[in-house]
Amino acid sequence: MRVGDIVEEFPVVGVDTSALVAARLIAKDRRPGIVVTEADGRPKAVLPASQVVKFMVPGYVQSDPALARVMGEVSADKLAERLRRATVADLLPNPPMELAVVKADDTLMEAAAIMARLRSPLCAVIEGTRIIGVLTASHLLELVCGDDRG
Amino acid sequence: MMVVAIVIFTVVYILIASERINRVAAALGGAGLMLALGVVGADDAFFSQDTGIDWNVIFLLFGMMVIVGVLRQTGIFEYVAIWAAKRAGGRPFRVMVLLCLITAVASAALDNVTTVLLIAPVTLLVCEQIGVRPVPFLIAEALASNIGGTATLVGDPPNLIVASRSGLGFNDFLVNMGPVVLLMLLAFVGLARILFRKDFVADPEQVDRVMQLDEREAIENPSLLWRSLVVLALVLAAFSLHGVLHLAPSVVALLGAGVLVAISRLRPESYLAEVEWATLLFFAGLFILVGSLVKTGAIARLAAAVGGVAGDSVPAAMMLILWGSAALSAIVDNIPFVATMSPVVDQLVRGNGPLGGQNGLWWALVLGADLGGNATAIGASANVVVAGIAKRSGHPISFWEFTKYGSLVAVVTLGIATPYLLLRY
Repeated sequence: MRVGDIVEEFPVVGVDTSALVAARLIAKDRRPGIVVTEADGRPKAVLPASQVVKFMVPGYVQSDPALARVMGEVSADKLAERLRRATVADLLPNPPMELAVVKADDTLMEAAAIMARLRSPLCAVIEGTRIIGVLTASHLLELVCGDDRG
Repeated sequence: MMVVAIVIFTVVYILIASERINRVAAALGGAGLMLALGVVGADDAFFSQDTGIDWNVIFLLFGMMVIVGVLRQTGIFEYVAIWAAKRAGGRPFRVMVLLCLITAVASAALDNVTTVLLIAPVTLLVCEQIGVRPVPFLIAEALASNIGGTATLVGDPPNLIVASRSGLGFNDFLVNMGPVVLLMLLAFVGLARILFRKDFVADPEQVDRVMQLDEREAIENPSLLWRSLVVLALVLAAFSLHGVLHLAPSVVALLGAGVLVAISRLRPESYLAEVEWATLLFFAGLFILVGSLVKTGAIARLAAAVGGVAGDSVPAAMMLILWGSAALSAIVDNIPFVATMSPVVDQLVRGNGPLGGQNGLWWALVLGADLGGNATAIGASANVVVAGIAKRSGHPISFWEFTKYGSLVAVVTLGIATPYLLLRY
């Protein structure tokens, strides 16, 4: 089986897209992340959901997790505040992570190897330079392990 | 051999100062070269008190790093800082004063870098709650940490080097540096009121938000907190009782670290993460480099030159060392500077000349090196660490913004140190 046979359609965002819009796309259908593309449509990065969550947490709490406890209850509005002021470019890790990308004719093992090495919850699938969809880790596990009925 | 030693030392020093290569690599590379070329032998480097690695300093640093590694997991810093901000009613100037005093006191008992690493995140939280710009608070804390660290033997790494070389103890530091540091902190608070006056405007509605923080939540394990505080108090008491116990500070720190590790039951990786192995190796390399200069007689010549410039005058020698150390510590790391200068001062103080037996020279070196670090953004490790935290939190501190405030504070504190040294010694 080739990656191209099982590719899923997935929304993509550009670096200038609002961070809140990207977060909502991830939240919808509980996706593990989203693919970020260059202006010409080439994949630029995989933005995992965890990276978006990390951005919402103030730097001082990341440095000192004990501060999360002293802050008590923080409203959802307050948590989302930073996303409203940011774009996808702000969410991307700095320095940039290597892009998790496979070709449509690659095997499942090749895709698994890339996801494992980059600890990425999904990888972009390309044909030439054009992105045709993604392969998620959960989809890959479903294909490999089947469901509990099998 | 003296020429070889001076050339290697100078090249390494330039590499460290210019940050062209990693400072640990430069110091260890230079030390290796000294050994390979036979400037010093293994006995000189590893077993000699005059020309070798000062194991007292290395193990004192190591012990204190382990103690801090346990202590920082107790949440005590977060608790005290938030409690203080609430006591200040969220009013910005009062908050700054209390946070700076906490930083200064903690820096005297622990090391400066750890203190600012612990206090800076809480400061960012408090500033966000009361709606003020955090940059002045962070700068003030770095400056307070360098001033507070001057007061004790364990407060700043240069003090450890001076203490080990001079034989001056914990109480000597407290008695000789404590009063003048208190005076400097008072002056610093007044200066902060003027320097940062534009930044003390907070939104009254937001000020109440700081009162909603719950500092008690910072303490997850009260039992660990109490055990750690008891051990720290015992360690500080043992430093102070050196005359009775006859235990070297390094032994006290190692015993304290050992006891704390045993009773904390924490996993080794959690407290060992606090040990800065790179700093310990840097010290080891530096000691071999400086030891080579001592062995070849270069330090004796430098001491004679300094003595010659100062003449027979103790005040002139103290001022030369104070202001010279301050100027150099503002632009280069004060640790290699003090490592080089302490054997020079040692020769002057041990000699039979007019400068012999004058401990004021040691205090001039401590004050100059520690306070000079405040003058620029790169003058002290605490300044660099604070600038890094500020940048990561989206509030970058420019080199010149820090230097504008820091240089003024350095000049004022050195201005206080000048009459203090002249009148007391």
